[in-house]
Amino acid sequence: TNMRKNARQAYAVNTEAGHQHSAESWGTGRAVSRIPRVSGGGTSRAGQGAFGNMCRKGRMFAPTRIWRKWHRKINTNQKRYAVASALAASALPSLVLARGHKIAELPEVPLVVDAATEGLQKTKQAIAALKAVGAYADVEKVKASRKLRAGKGKMRNRRHVQRLGPLVVYNEDKGITKAFRNLPGVDLAQVERLNLLQLAPGGHVGRFIVWTKSAFDRLNDIYGGVDRESKQKTGYKLPQNIMNNSDLTRLINSDEIQATLRPTNRKIIRARHKKNPLKNLGVKVRLNPYALSLR
Amino acid sequence: WETPYSPLCHPLIIMSSKKAAAPAKTAAPAKPAAAAKPAPAKAAAGTPVPVPESFLKKRKTLDEIKAKRAVAKADKTKKNKATRRLIFKRAEKYVKEYRQQEKDLIRHKRQAKNNNGFYISPEPKLAFVTRIRGINCVAPQTRKILQLLRLRQIHNGVFVKLNKATITMLRLVEPYITYGEPNLKSVSQLIYKRGFGKVNKQRIPLTDNSIIAKALGRYGIICIEDLIHEIYTVGPNFKVANNFLWPFKLSSPLGGYVKKGNHFTEGGDFGNREQEINKLIRRMN
Repeated sequence: TNMRKNARQAYAVNTEAGHQHSAESWGTGRAVSRIPRVSGGGTSRAGQGAFGNMCRKGRMFAPTRIWRKWHRKINTNQKRYAVASALAASALPSLVLARGHKIAELPEVPLVVDAATEGLQKTKQAIAALKAVGAYADVEKVKASRKLRAGKGKMRNRRHVQRLGPLVVYNEDKGITKAFRNLPGVDLAQVERLNLLQLAPGGHVGRFIVWTKSAFDRLNDIYGGVDRESKQKTGYKLPQNIMNNSDLTRLINSDEIQATLRPTNRKIIRARHKKNPLKNLGVKVRLNPYALSLR
Repeated sequence: WETPYSPLCHPLIIMSSKKAAAPAKTAAPAKPAAAAKPAPAKAAAGTPVPVPESFLKKRKTLDEIKAKRAVAKADKTKKNKATRRLIFKRAEKYVKEYRQQEKDLIRHKRQAKNNNGFYISPEPKLAFVTRIRGINCVAPQTRKILQLLRLRQIHNGVFVKLNKATITMLRLVEPYITYGEPNLKSVSQLIYKRGFGKVNKQRIPLTDNSIIAKALGRYGIICIEDLIHEIYTVGPNFKVANNFLWPFKLSSPLGGYVKKGNHFTEGGDFGNREQEINKLIRRMN
């Protein structure tokens, strides 16, 4: 989320707003409230309240200032960790599906396309290429999802919303940008400058990525490995795995873990209604078996 | 940073997709991978499907657990039967004992009369104390003593062992309580009808002997009759048994009080009313 703040423009209310009067309070004794009032006479404005956030034509509470902190600094390592996680997530079909992409027809994930796509010039060719690999369903989803934005954004130059489609990652732009850029929902990214805001839109990992082969091959050099330094980012290694074996089901059912578990207790013990043993013979006998002989 | 765990995940190390991902290692297509999750092996008609190992393992452990449970159950029923017989014997013993006590008392009295003397029955060892008055406007010392007696609410009742210390305490809070010597019927009725035990700091109804046995078993009290006997005869483990009993929450007396503001001896209600407490208990229970 913090990265999204870095593209903001400042806004604020006019610094002088609400204070362009020489208003002074009339003080006590004149049967009016003590709020500062506009000086002078001759107009209906004279004598009206000014300067307060509760007054008509007064300034607002805490007027917005331009020196608000608009941008956010994020540690480089954190940013790289995030990009690495987002890229890893894009390789898991379940996560990409969970994000909502239509990837059911794909031959495999991650989807790597021949390097020749980088040379495509026409959008028609781009569509054909996506259709050939089964990625076009995602683009169609975007087309179908274009709607009016809910809320005031409509009148603030953000009229429409639509889903996000595939992210096409390339190595050399030999025309691919121009070919793909008009397709709705499709984003483009050069492999050396991957944008986290595109990889994990809204903070949700698992964007559907279409790699060109040359881009995919570059990844090793750019990011290195867990024990290998990257060639492009000095001194950077990929972060260690949190779990080496992420198959929870197998872990849970493994002998090592099962051996230490106590047996499952599925019995729900609910409170019984207490029956009066002085009246209820069955309960009396349950408590005192001799009671039967005493009768 | 949280990546949502999905049960469909192919069991790959998450970072491995970066390592010059040879196409062979990439995850299976979006359709759920059949490799990681074997379906339960109900052999389809005709085609013998190999039974997955995980299913066999699960079946084996389940069978083991079931076998153990069956053995444990058999043991438990045997033990329960034995305990049941024991409880029966004890209840029988107590009935005899109580009858014996009554007869002894009568015998002593008759003997004394024959010898033109008097039989003084021993001072009562047990008292049943009920709080008569409410919460408000109570002096601090009185309040503390009532708390110590566990009489925190109006019409709460507790059994109290009588000794110099407790008698003094009772005397100090006399205007707030009424007490006396309960007879067997009172003790028995109170514990049967309004008996709740302190189990794990909770107020649990005494619906089964196992509750009592679990809490007081190591003092030899395993059933409700044992508990009654311990209380009534103020046995060696009276303190534990009594503390196990949650303070009795009695009803307002049917028929009402006479006058809470006066001592019993003045025609009112509070203070020591000796044997008359039993009548009150009948009305409050």
